[in-house]
Amino acid sequence: MSVDIFDLAQIVDDAAHTATAIAQLSEKNEMTLEEAYQVQASSIDRRLSRGEKRVGMKMGFTSRAKMVQMGVDDMIWGRLTDGMLVEDGGTISMAKYVHPRVEPEVAFLLNAPLSGPVTPMQAMAAVEAMAPALEIIDSRYEAFKFNLYDVVADNASSSGFVIGPWCPPDMDLDNLGVVMECNGRPVQIGSTAAILGHPGRSLAAASRMAAEYGETLEAGWVVMAGGVTEATPLAAGISVRNTVEGLGSVGFHVEA
Amino acid sequence: MTDSSSIRQAADRIIKAYQTSTPDAPVREFIDDGDIDGAYAVQEHVTDWRLDEGARLVGRKIGLTSVVVQKQLGVDQPDYGMLFDDMAIPDGEEIPTSRVMQPRVEAEVAYVMEKDLKFDRPTNTEVISAIAYAVPAIEVVGSRVSNWDITILDTVADNASSGLFVLGNDKVKVDGFDGRMCGMVVENRGDPVSVGAGAACLGHPINAVRWLAEVMAQRGRPLSAGDIVMSGALGPMVPVTAGEVYEARISGLGSVRAVFGA
Repeated sequence: MSVDIFDLAQIVDDAAHTATAIAQLSEKNEMTLEEAYQVQASSIDRRLSRGEKRVGMKMGFTSRAKMVQMGVDDMIWGRLTDGMLVEDGGTISMAKYVHPRVEPEVAFLLNAPLSGPVTPMQAMAAVEAMAPALEIIDSRYEAFKFNLYDVVADNASSSGFVIGPWCPPDMDLDNLGVVMECNGRPVQIGSTAAILGHPGRSLAAASRMAAEYGETLEAGWVVMAGGVTEATPLAAGISVRNTVEGLGSVGFHVEA
Repeated sequence: MTDSSSIRQAADRIIKAYQTSTPDAPVREFIDDGDIDGAYAVQEHVTDWRLDEGARLVGRKIGLTSVVVQKQLGVDQPDYGMLFDDMAIPDGEEIPTSRVMQPRVEAEVAYVMEKDLKFDRPTNTEVISAIAYAVPAIEVVGSRVSNWDITILDTVADNASSGLFVLGNDKVKVDGFDGRMCGMVVENRGDPVSVGAGAACLGHPINAVRWLAEVMAQRGRPLSAGDIVMSGALGPMVPVTAGEVYEARISGLGSVRAVFGA
């Protein structure tokens, strides 16, 4: 039985829009991976029709450990809109999320389009700048429980992103220390090596995977390269900061 | 307080495990609950045996420097063990996997002391001034306790579960890399199998060295010029598979390899 893409898109979009947890779509709908990405695209179209602008792409499951944990052999990706952007140093409200978590990342800013299979070196040649970043992930599914198809349909859990100072892409990205603090205490510690050994590989994968669904990464877009560590749950009163060796830091506050 | 015959029994069990290359039951049954000093007394017995057998003390290792690991073992402080000359493996030299029982690897910063540190309570600045240089390091930890069934008492008694250590050959000054932010990755066959950063070691590896310097001064084996200090893991331990190569890279410090034979 085929699934109704538009119906499912409305369910996940409403859940995101109203910050309400929903049951896993896969409980009642057998989706293919392609259909799951169609649901995602359709749910983002609903955002765009409300006036949001597409500004980039995020990568997920960018460590082999995470792929093994999820029982998949490839990454996943989601779409970023300007409505998801949180200012560096800004404040978010818990009320706008279901059960948000945060993870430390690095972000790329593109100065040229990237399309289809490219090498990590070709991908990095299209990078104007890179920055320390934070992603606010917020699965719309109850208890943060989902399978591969659910999470893809739900825009790879993406719900917010924060970008720190853009730096020239002239340093080696393969092993920069990453320390994420909540209220000044380290809660996650890692290295950019956790992203496929080098975040440039994630950017190359972004180009390849977007093309599978007819998309080009555009000049001016932001690409979030993927989580460096596990995610940390957010709560009102927490101030989050991510510092990446040599790139500086980025942060935001959480209120009720 | 644990009585001396129990300490002797615990030490004998560990020594026998070394002699037979066979891990044995935990030694915590011989040590009173919570008696960490008793566990160090067991370690001291085993150290004396190693020295009597001709081993030379070349440094110390600091363990339990991660908040996560401390919580797992229910403690709020690191621990330490002794490094002997026969535990040092040159970068990239093949290690017979059987040399360490139940081996695991972890990457850390090793410091080499330039001066003695005899103050009862040294400050971080005194510690920094007493260090000659840093090198990237891999510690091959192991346990003489079967299945790593350890509590804090077992690991302290068992020389902080130390095994072997591999140091990189290119030295870097203490201010030549970012001790708190330096990225760390251990790679095996091109996969990052452990990642972390300097902050994972008590916030900064120098904090761990300062703790060690104070404790060693109090216990009468102060850090001395030339001593190697393995300052503590920057990321999770990785179980060793025979025949595999583990390369550790620490940002600003360089790389070092532990190569295991079949």
